Amino acid sequence: MAIKFKRVNYIYQGMDGTPFRALKDINLTIEEKGEFITLIGETGSGKSTLVQHMNALIKPTSGQVEIYGIKIEETKKKSSKIKLNPLRQKIGLVFQFPDYQLFEETVERDIMFGPMNFGISKEEAKKRAKEVIQLVGLETGYLERSPFNLSGGEKKRVSIAGILAMEPDILVLDEPTSGLDPKGRDELLELFLSIHNKLNNTVLIITHDMNTVYQYASRVLVMNDGNLVFDGKPIDLFASPKLSSWNLDKPDLIDLCDKLSERLNITFENYPKDLEKVVARIKAGYHE
Amino acid sequence: MNNIIIGQYIPGTSYLYKLDPRSKILSLVLLMVATFVLDTMTGMLIFLGAMVILLLSGKISITRVLNGLKPIFVLLMFTFTFQALFVTTGTLYIDEILHFNYYTITASLLVFLTWFFSKKYIKYSILYFLLMIVSIILVLIYLPQGTDFASTPLQIYQGGVEGALFIMMRLIIIVTLSTILTLTTKPTDLTLGLEKLLKPLKIIKISSEEIALIISIALRYIPTLLDEANKIMLAQASRGVDFKEGKLKDKIVQIVSLLVPMFIISFKRSDELANAMEARNFVPGQRRTRLHVLLWHKLDSYTVLLSSLVFVFVIVITVIR
Repeated sequence: MAIKFKRVNYIYQGMDGTPFRALKDINLTIEEKGEFITLIGETGSGKSTLVQHMNALIKPTSGQVEIYGIKIEETKKKSSKIKLNPLRQKIGLVFQFPDYQLFEETVERDIMFGPMNFGISKEEAKKRAKEVIQLVGLETGYLERSPFNLSGGEKKRVSIAGILAMEPDILVLDEPTSGLDPKGRDELLELFLSIHNKLNNTVLIITHDMNTVYQYASRVLVMNDGNLVFDGKPIDLFASPKLSSWNLDKPDLIDLCDKLSERLNITFENYPKDLEKVVARIKAGYHE
Repeated sequence: MNNIIIGQYIPGTSYLYKLDPRSKILSLVLLMVATFVLDTMTGMLIFLGAMVILLLSGKISITRVLNGLKPIFVLLMFTFTFQALFVTTGTLYIDEILHFNYYTITASLLVFLTWFFSKKYIKYSILYFLLMIVSIILVLIYLPQGTDFASTPLQIYQGGVEGALFIMMRLIIIVTLSTILTLTTKPTDLTLGLEKLLKPLKIIKISSEEIALIISIALRYIPTLLDEANKIMLAQASRGVDFKEGKLKDKIVQIVSLLVPMFIISFKRSDELANAMEARNFVPGQRRTRLHVLLWHKLDSYTVLLSSLVFVFVIVITVIR
């Protein structure tokens, strides 16, 4: 397993000095291969804090995070000898706001920044920049532009490209689709899915969109008030009676199916994953 | 990064808290000028005593004020040493010779090393440091003498010690006074008080409201920007920037990768703030009501009156002498 959380707690001091428990006793295992995970939960439920533990950006207050066999604990000593940097190459974390990371003069140099920090040669980094910029759906002409003259969506794509260029084993994205139009959102989700399918690498996405959870994820984690309250298949989550108590709702398709069976008595054996199947089922029901 | 306290305000209930910021600022200025003008030792001692009474009656912990003195400790030590060593008036107190030979230098080094390795276990680090310095000087004076390869006389005169104590007390009083102000007044009240007090500057076309607005916005955004800086560091760290180590060349890149987003975000924020203020029809210098209105009580009048009396008294005394 690539990442393992063992009874992880994280407490931080608020501005007024009162301690706040952001994570409570988290136990979690994430494999290196084959998972497409979505992480959902209310704002302030600890999602971002959780993913920042995954590449050792922050250390647990108590408990242990194991990343590729390297144990990360709160150490009393000031300088722990563990090299954390290699872990950050293996687990690529894209932050929610691209403004936090873009700083170079050109998009190309900004994308090259990550890989070159991990010892990739300049030529190789340049080559990768050219590849990933196309992957995220921008033309190579963007490489020469300043990252600050881009639209919000374009910045977001560039910031994702900057992490993809590091060629991480596991890709973690904090709300990658916020601030994007529906078309851009779908394009990016398809991109993550294709990366996942091509290399079979694990992808973890924080999202607020239940449709994303339902249509893409093979596994879903739900955070609520610092607790990991659900870890399983999306279909089981949406059948759970506790769904509304976690302030979550059902994806559109499941909602539609439920309404159909309730009002028109059109029942489904399994919830379908795309609209075509619903249409087919309605047609079949009509002919009955 | 998380331990930075903005302002020194500590909530409390004593009369110092109930005073209007205007009267506190006015009294502070008057008393500070008085402290600078005052030039007798007795006067300084009376002032120092008054300071202690003020702290005790205002229920402000003296340790906290002493903590406030820590940053200027180095300055205090410097002025004290220079005054004590280089003023040569009055009677001679100490007349010794500092010997530098193998014995004394080795012994001093031993003392220094003991201090250096044991200092983290000792609670009162400043006192311990002083003890180290004093013992080195004693070693240099009294250790059995071999052949010196250098020696300097150590002569301390009465005038030097008095002058040094005098300047130290003056600095301590001034820092204590301003600490009392910042400890007992919220930053927002402080800027409001300043705004009111600077109002007369309108005659020379300086708008006190704008100055106060700038100060309060700056104060308001310190925690926000710190938070932002922290997030940027995390974002860059996940792209392989190691802020803890690296050569000088790497350090520059690290700082640039932090500063550029910082600037961009600050400009963006100020732009947004300006728009939000404009959307709510904010016009600088326009008359407006406030949520918290400053109230001038009798106590405030007494405070300012008392400070003015002290001020006038000190001036008169000094002029007469």
